Amino acid sequence: MSGGGHGHSNGATVKERADIALNNDFLRKAVKFTTERLKGGKLKATDEHGNWEEWRERGKQIRLHTVAHLDYYLNQFVDNARANGVHVHFADTAEEAVHISLSIAERKKAKTVVKSKSMVTEELHLNHALESIGVDPIETDLGEYIIQLAGETPSHIIIPAIHKNRYQIADLLSVDAGETLEPDTQVLAGYVRRKLRTKFLEADIGMTGCNFAIAETGSMVLFENEGNARMVTTVPKTQITLMGMERIIPSWADLEVMATLLPRSATGQKLTVYMSGITGPRRSEDADGPDEMHIIIVDNGRSLQLGDPEFQELLNCIRCGACLNACPVYRHIGGHAYGGTYSGPIGAVLKPSLQKNVAEWDDIANASSLCGACYEACPVKIPLHDMLIYLRRRKIEQGHGDKVEAAGMKGFAAIMSKSGRFKTVLKLGKLGQKLVARNGEIRIKVGPLKGWNSYRVTPSLPKKSFRDGWGTLEAELRHGLQEIAPEARARMEQIVKDRAKGGGHGHGHG
Amino acid sequence: MDTVRAHQEWLIEMEAESRSKQTRFINGISAKLRRPMVTEPPRHPYRGAPDFWNAYEWGEQERIERFTSNFKSVGGHVERLASMSDVQRFIADKAKELGAKYVIRQNQPELDDLDLEGAIPEARISVWNSDPEQYWKARAAEADFGVVMADYAAAYTGSITVLSSKDKGRSVSLLPTVLMAIIPVERLVTRLGEIMVHFDEGGRESLPAGIHFISGPSRSADIENDLTIGVHGPGVVYALIVG
Repeated sequence: MSGGGHGHSNGATVKERADIALNNDFLRKAVKFTTERLKGGKLKATDEHGNWEEWRERGKQIRLHTVAHLDYYLNQFVDNARANGVHVHFADTAEEAVHISLSIAERKKAKTVVKSKSMVTEELHLNHALESIGVDPIETDLGEYIIQLAGETPSHIIIPAIHKNRYQIADLLSVDAGETLEPDTQVLAGYVRRKLRTKFLEADIGMTGCNFAIAETGSMVLFENEGNARMVTTVPKTQITLMGMERIIPSWADLEVMATLLPRSATGQKLTVYMSGITGPRRSEDADGPDEMHIIIVDNGRSLQLGDPEFQELLNCIRCGACLNACPVYRHIGGHAYGGTYSGPIGAVLKPSLQKNVAEWDDIANASSLCGACYEACPVKIPLHDMLIYLRRRKIEQGHGDKVEAAGMKGFAAIMSKSGRFKTVLKLGKLGQKLVARNGEIRIKVGPLKGWNSYRVTPSLPKKSFRDGWGTLEAELRHGLQEIAPEARARMEQIVKDRAKGGGHGHGHG
Repeated sequence: MDTVRAHQEWLIEMEAESRSKQTRFINGISAKLRRPMVTEPPRHPYRGAPDFWNAYEWGEQERIERFTSNFKSVGGHVERLASMSDVQRFIADKAKELGAKYVIRQNQPELDDLDLEGAIPEARISVWNSDPEQYWKARAAEADFGVVMADYAAAYTGSITVLSSKDKGRSVSLLPTVLMAIIPVERLVTRLGEIMVHFDEGGRESLPAGIHFISGPSRSADIENDLTIGVHGPGVVYALIVG
């Protein structure tokens, strides 16, 4: 297989990373197979359940209400969790969250930390940090364990090792085992079960994410299928839970709605095999469960979306991955091409909006066809396709956009506002294209037509134009023949330079 | 015990820090929402499931049938048994069939009455947390069978609910290879919401440390989407509906 090292896609832009992914045949097939299966499962499950639109609407209302009163509910959660005996901490930034986690690990003189899947810890690059102080972080979700061995990052929220086939997995696990394992799913999973059993029993700390936190009782809720999150919260003496500050829901009654929406949307299950509500550390008379439990509440850019009418609804996300499975772009390029912790449509919007520095905004918002499939799939009705447009607009407004696109939009506005101007431009265009058009086609790969013409050809303008139609192409043609905008090139070069400095690619932990 | 004391002091320090930060953190959220902090419970008009759903209910026979088909569809096993003596016979037969040598069970009166000790003399039966000197997690980890009473079950999703306590270990439904969960039929309801309501009504102080909904054997599809059973939790799960 050619797929070996492609978990780390080293391309600078989404487009470059996508090119690597598009060349990786197995990846594309695997992503397509998995996402189609998940999508099929979801459709079946939502269909069977019935009244899906009413459930979506209810889910949306609960999330809207909670986020609109997040100060009240988060405060209530914290007070109740403390009353349950939990040590609660607050982290404004990723660095702070890492610092608190490491302090606990140091205090506990921890040697190993067993982890169940947590996107927040990916966001914080916590594994790296733990290793730096000599603590061994062990991912225990089967897929996460595999990609940790490979030194990669997850490419799908729900199925992190979606980009690996069983032969690649057998190779990785054989090295880990020190013996050759057959590329058979049962054999491979059996090996991981045995190996991790001892790790669970030895580990000093169990670390988890948090799907939901119930304000009224101070409970944290985890959804999973393998049982590793239960292991992590039952066996080690210390539990650390990292939780995004928006994970709150008011009550257990609201959990019924989330439990109806999340598994059906994620995997098409009626409920995940395990749904656990953990309310504090073990009671003094209990014989299992952690002696000490910490919850670290993480902002790390989330509050930037609060009070922003265009993006506040991002905080409603329940991390099901349905938008990834529905997205035609994700299905073709896979998760790593997005270059962030979160991939797919939700990642395309979350990544830039979690970052304060607009200048670092990626070109990721453009990796979307704006078809709206993500919104249709979203169990809490987040208008992701609208947000992608807001994002593009903001990039341009703040001067970080693609100058060509901005010029094109301005030009379009100027030209279209007067029919006389438009006529002139059409004439100019017909003149201009004489330089590049052959037999009614434009194949030249420069300027704005470079990406388009790499895979197709642009038809030349018809002699008699369709007046009210396609003036933008004209404007683009005029500007585009000047080659790529110098600012855009400088930005791309800077990204490449930063990457060389950092030694990585900005999103990995391997 | 100096280190223990030092650690306690550190925790107290951290708590003071956390409490002062809490005010700043929460106020920051209020500021972003462009209003002073809300102190009164907000009116929550959309609490819980839609009304049409809360009125949804199946009769006993349908609950049993739906639970059974849901649980089986994810690879679980279901037995419908008339009495606890049938339960005893069933577990004993399975223990013989599978050659179970170690059994761990919760410390509950219904399970005392089951007398597994008498019914499976060839196996070593441990009773959870019955001896404070024992390392109970290891006893559960070595067990072939874990035997528990379900606190509730929901037919619509095919889920068994177990609550932890001094006498009911979380490990007993998690670490053994085979899980035997006994569900008295009157504890089998239609919807998850009929179970959740107990936790809302009882409130924070009534809740145990662990509440677990179990809907079949442990599974994963992480390797090429190929379904694998028994990844970390029990790979074989029997739901024994009794009564």
